[in-house]
Amino acid sequence: MSGRLLDNSEFVSWLGAMSRALAEGNEEALGTALAGFEGVRNATVTMQVRRVASDLQFALDDFHANAKLVDMAQRRVPDARHRLAHVLRLTDDAAHRTMDLVERSAPLADHATHEADRLIQLQQQGSTAQQIAPQLTAFVTLVSASMGAVRSNLAEVLIAQGYQDLTGQIIRGVMKLTQELESSLADLLRIAGPANGEEAINATAYGTHGPAVPGVVEDAVGGQQDVDALLSQLGV
Amino acid sequence: MGVQSNLSFLVVDDFSTMRRIIKNLLNDLGYANITEADDGTTALPMLKNGKFDFLITDWNMPGMPGLDLVKHVRADARLGKMPVLMLTAEAKREQIVEAVQAGVNGYVIKPFTAATLKEKIEKILASQTAAA
Repeated sequence: MSGRLLDNSEFVSWLGAMSRALAEGNEEALGTALAGFEGVRNATVTMQVRRVASDLQFALDDFHANAKLVDMAQRRVPDARHRLAHVLRLTDDAAHRTMDLVERSAPLADHATHEADRLIQLQQQGSTAQQIAPQLTAFVTLVSASMGAVRSNLAEVLIAQGYQDLTGQIIRGVMKLTQELESSLADLLRIAGPANGEEAINATAYGTHGPAVPGVVEDAVGGQQDVDALLSQLGV
Repeated sequence: MGVQSNLSFLVVDDFSTMRRIIKNLLNDLGYANITEADDGTTALPMLKNGKFDFLITDWNMPGMPGLDLVKHVRADARLGKMPVLMLTAEAKREQIVEAVQAGVNGYVIKPFTAATLKEKIEKILASQTAAA
């Protein structure tokens, strides 16, 4: 730092003034030159201290942003990935559980319908209620048992929807992380990245877009009717 | 329950739940002959070595995506005219145009209804019969 101080032309100028004042024996001029020299020295030191403080702040900001990103990259992002994998498992399990119950209920409904149709046919063919009384009794017993089973399956379908509570909480947590990640990356770009971050943003390219999310996927069709209209225009 | 049919379907989707939904709906429509594959890479040899009458495929799958599978099918001399229905969540207009250019006969976006699936399959089969 001392080298830079001596290079300063203002110091040289005040030293010249001191030298002249000494040669002339001018005490007043010597005092002024000494005060001037001291003033420049103070200003220079202050400037250097400011610069060091600013560099330190920059380094601290950089370190802070990097430390946050490192924590996110090493711990929270993999953690979020595991959580999302769990969401996938929960939704998959719930969907299969629901379909198990539907597939278990459908044959019960089919069988009851089939038996009812058979009784209707018998009636249409002229059978009296008395004649088909045993079949009717069997049918009512069947319906009672089938509907009981279907009702119980429906209750389980309802319970299987409980996954939404758990997955919803996990997804909210991941949303919070992506928000923090966005903010940290923006900090990093501000400190060290391209001027407006455009390069980083434009570098992403997707082959597919996934389900149309309102406000996210642009130029998406509104529903099957739009698809049909477009296909019709294309001659399909 | 629809009329029983011997048509053989290959359903390609990476999610087992979606394959199961489609399979159940096809069963309800009277189609009992259904085989499943989880992406284009698995499906293509099955198509080449098997006797399928109808292909229902998703688009976004790991390995070979549905669009590439359609292109492979259309480029194959034996499979070239196979009816193909794309059943996907991809909903951008440019993608639908791309799928049509690749040669799909129908395009259904997820989520879909049983009625839509039925209507599109029947429409494709009717146009195939008319063209034959």
